[in-house]
Amino acid sequence: METLQLTQGVVNAILLSGTLTLVAIGFSIVWGILNIINLAHGAFLMVGAYITYWLFTLYGVDPFLSLPISMLTMFVVGYMVQRYLINLVIRAPLLVTFLLTFALEIIIINLATFFWKGDLRSVTPDYAGLGFTIGDVQIPYVRLAAFVISLVLTGLLHVFMTYTKTGNAIRATGMDIDAARLQGVRIPQTYALTYALGTALAAGAGTLISISFPIDPTMGGAYTLRAFVICVLGGLGSIPGVILGALLFSFIEVFSGIWAPSLKDAIALLVLVLVLIFRPSGIAGKAFYH
Amino acid sequence: MEREVILETKQATKHFGGLAAVEKVDMTIYKGEILGLIGPNGAGKTTFVNIITGMLPITSGKVYFKGQDITGWPAFKIGRLGIARTFQIVKPFRGMTVQENVAVGAMFGHGGAKRSPREALEHVDHIIEFVGMADLREKHADELTLPYLKRLELAKALAMDPELLFLDEVMAGLNTKEIESAMELVRKINEKGITILVIEHVMKAIVGVTQRVFVLNFGQELAQGAPQEVLNNPAVIQAYLGEKFVARFFRQQKAA
Amino acid sequence: MSDQKKAPIRFSSLDGLFKGRQGVLFSIFLLFILFLGVFPFLPFASGFWLNTLTLILLLAAMSIGWNFIGGYTGYAAFGNVAFFGIGAYGTGLSMIRLGLSFFPALLIGAVAAMVFAILIGLPILRLKGHYFAIATVAIATALGEIADSWTSFTGGAAGITLPFFDPIEWSGQFFYYMAYLLAIGGLLLTWFILNRKMGYSWVAIREDEDAANMMGINTTWSKVMAFALSALMAGLAGGIYAYWKTFVLAEEVFKIEYTLQMILAAVLGGTGTIFGPFIGAFIYYILITLLVFFLPVGQLHATILGAIIILVMVFTPKGLMDFISGRKKLSINALLENIRTYRV
Ligand SMILES: Nc1ncnc2c1ncn2[C@@H]1O[C@H](COP(=O)(O)OP(=O)(O)OP(=O)(O)O)[C@@H](O)[C@H]1O
Ligand SMILES: [Mg+2]
Repeated sequence: METLQLTQGVVNAILLSGTLTLVAIGFSIVWGILNIINLAHGAFLMVGAYITYWLFTLYGVDPFLSLPISMLTMFVVGYMVQRYLINLVIRAPLLVTFLLTFALEIIIINLATFFWKGDLRSVTPDYAGLGFTIGDVQIPYVRLAAFVISLVLTGLLHVFMTYTKTGNAIRATGMDIDAARLQGVRIPQTYALTYALGTALAAGAGTLISISFPIDPTMGGAYTLRAFVICVLGGLGSIPGVILGALLFSFIEVFSGIWAPSLKDAIALLVLVLVLIFRPSGIAGKAFYH
Repeated sequence: MEREVILETKQATKHFGGLAAVEKVDMTIYKGEILGLIGPNGAGKTTFVNIITGMLPITSGKVYFKGQDITGWPAFKIGRLGIARTFQIVKPFRGMTVQENVAVGAMFGHGGAKRSPREALEHVDHIIEFVGMADLREKHADELTLPYLKRLELAKALAMDPELLFLDEVMAGLNTKEIESAMELVRKINEKGITILVIEHVMKAIVGVTQRVFVLNFGQELAQGAPQEVLNNPAVIQAYLGEKFVARFFRQQKAA
Repeated sequence: MSDQKKAPIRFSSLDGLFKGRQGVLFSIFLLFILFLGVFPFLPFASGFWLNTLTLILLLAAMSIGWNFIGGYTGYAAFGNVAFFGIGAYGTGLSMIRLGLSFFPALLIGAVAAMVFAILIGLPILRLKGHYFAIATVAIATALGEIADSWTSFTGGAAGITLPFFDPIEWSGQFFYYMAYLLAIGGLLLTWFILNRKMGYSWVAIREDEDAANMMGINTTWSKVMAFALSALMAGLAGGIYAYWKTFVLAEEVFKIEYTLQMILAAVLGGTGTIFGPFIGAFIYYILITLLVFFLPVGQLHATILGAIIILVMVFTPKGLMDFISGRKKLSINALLENIRTYRV
């Protein structure tokens, strides 16, 4: 492989890792705190992407400006879903919550396909194709912006979890629910808030993805799986772990995309299975909120 | 006096990350005896049993059963070899009846047991009776109270027809009368020729049933010898009970 | 598997099956099986009914298979469609590439599914909980993609076409009976295993794997057997399905919805019971059909499926059997019991 392709691959992987961090981080806190594998994560991401698309297409709202709208909307949706649905059975055995979030995913995708059709769509602001080059390596502005915004949001999440009362309540709940309850933490609300954060971050990722890649109603499943792989790679429950996992995964994805494009997802999945088998606790181990 | 050794550990060690839960323990268990294993909470008693029985991988050291090196063997093979144990945190098969629970031991235990379910279910009746649960045979395990769950643990282990039995705090949470009858059970089991290692915090029981005591502290051997002798060892009292409990300890001693 | 506390080996012997209320239910069930056995000869057995019942029976067979690993052994397998797909491709490819007739081809398909289950089961059955579930999803999805893109071998997006069953006028009956025999065979297999040490080892593993291991159960072997037998059922169903439809397409035979249907059927009828998955398959079809019939949904079929899953998981994750058999009264209270137990 040529050096150029190699450097370009490295740059692409790094840029991609930002967005993937954002994709995985919400999934990770829901898993770590609520002990739920949120299979609807990618579906929420997809809805976030469509919110951006429609705001742009119908009202000409700049996609980056739609970020807070998409996140806020899905925050509310996520809060409701957890508070009035998942909370009802959250302590049930794994199969129940697993199937529940799976069902949510199916419904959201089906409704999206029904109302918005299955076509691929793109958000194309004027600056979509612009970028700069360093040497021969191309860096599109939108991807760089997505990278930076992802890291900023991740940083904000870290600050929120570490330095705010609510964030601490969330972490306390994840560590020891009974102790948290004794401290006066309201568990149902805290759970709902955690899930809402997860969906909002997914929606934010969806918005950023919609600016760089075409979207369709079934786009989410692949991201749910990526989020899972990243959490497994990085170890459950730590923000640095997720960043590391996302970085590793991005390299695997970008380079398998260069060498064996049609098997890109299959390779990602096989990596997942291998990591699960050989390092079930992830490469970075466990920490932070679990 | 040559006594036959049934189990021997050499420098058995288990680390959890930086924590040395068991550190270089040499223990010898003689055939036919009742050996007590004591030590303060977190001393590594349960972990020690876990690494012998293959529940946890051993970090280093060796385990020999009747001269055979069984280090690193999977738990089920060790069970089939003739070692059985109870779990401190009880592990009943909740969806099964008492009889079915115990029958599992008779189906798969020592020598792979080679009994069909039907034979096993019949075979375990006398064991269920022996531990005093005849009336509860058809009850599901999730309907039992803790004292009975402890007895169920014992019955399941006995059904495996072991040569060596580890009892991990089967008397915890029992009242005085229940402890008496549990001690009686332990003695009876021993009379059948089964070698026993008892882990207990109830000193009266240790003094009452064991012939020899082994003390663990911070994962290491602190002392071993005859029960009274070991329990009067100041280092043991200090480590095991802490000064606060010395007074209570002597009261217990008198009672025993 | 929702709450398996009260799911003991209820049918470990046939004694008592004919006594009391349970006896009545069991007799009704046997009559129903007999009825299904003669169904194709009944005057109203139209092609539509044969077709529908064949589908239900295939689902029942796969669900019975899923119950081995998911219901009795307690491992939330979410990728059993992989075995269906391998069975379908194994059978189809053996017929068209090797020129074998159906039965030897079916055998190859089923054995391939079992071998695959053993190969992946050895490593992934060491995983617990979510990790195992996701590993199975991942493997099934990856397999679907590989089948889809490996055009030279599997026909890729064009699929492979199998010969028609000959004589074609008996085709409906033939596939109906294949599915029927497979489902009944699955019931007998379940009953047979439950009366063997294997059955006890599965339930012991589900309830406490460490204790099971310590008591002399080779848990790896038992789990792999449960997984392989569930693959056998799905693989056979896949092979029959392939020949029935005379067409195999990766996108179709690796659809994750099939896994969901298997699980849902088992849950509706009661996981970890002999007849649960069989009856659940019927309940599932009736529910879906009624809902699609009464709600003008058209392309919202998947939404209905999702809604059913949610309702079942929230209100009756222990299945509907207790209500149908009259063991429990259907009341608001009974429906809220699950929520009361598991909410925060
Ligand atoms: N699976 C494990 N992972 C990490 N640490 C462990 C594990 N099991 C035990 N430990 C630690 O090892 C040490 C020894 O524990 P162990 O349970 O063996 O003590 P014990 O002597 O049985 O105590 P007790 O009398 O309370 O039962 C403790 O500090 C415990 O926290
Ligand atoms: Mg202990």
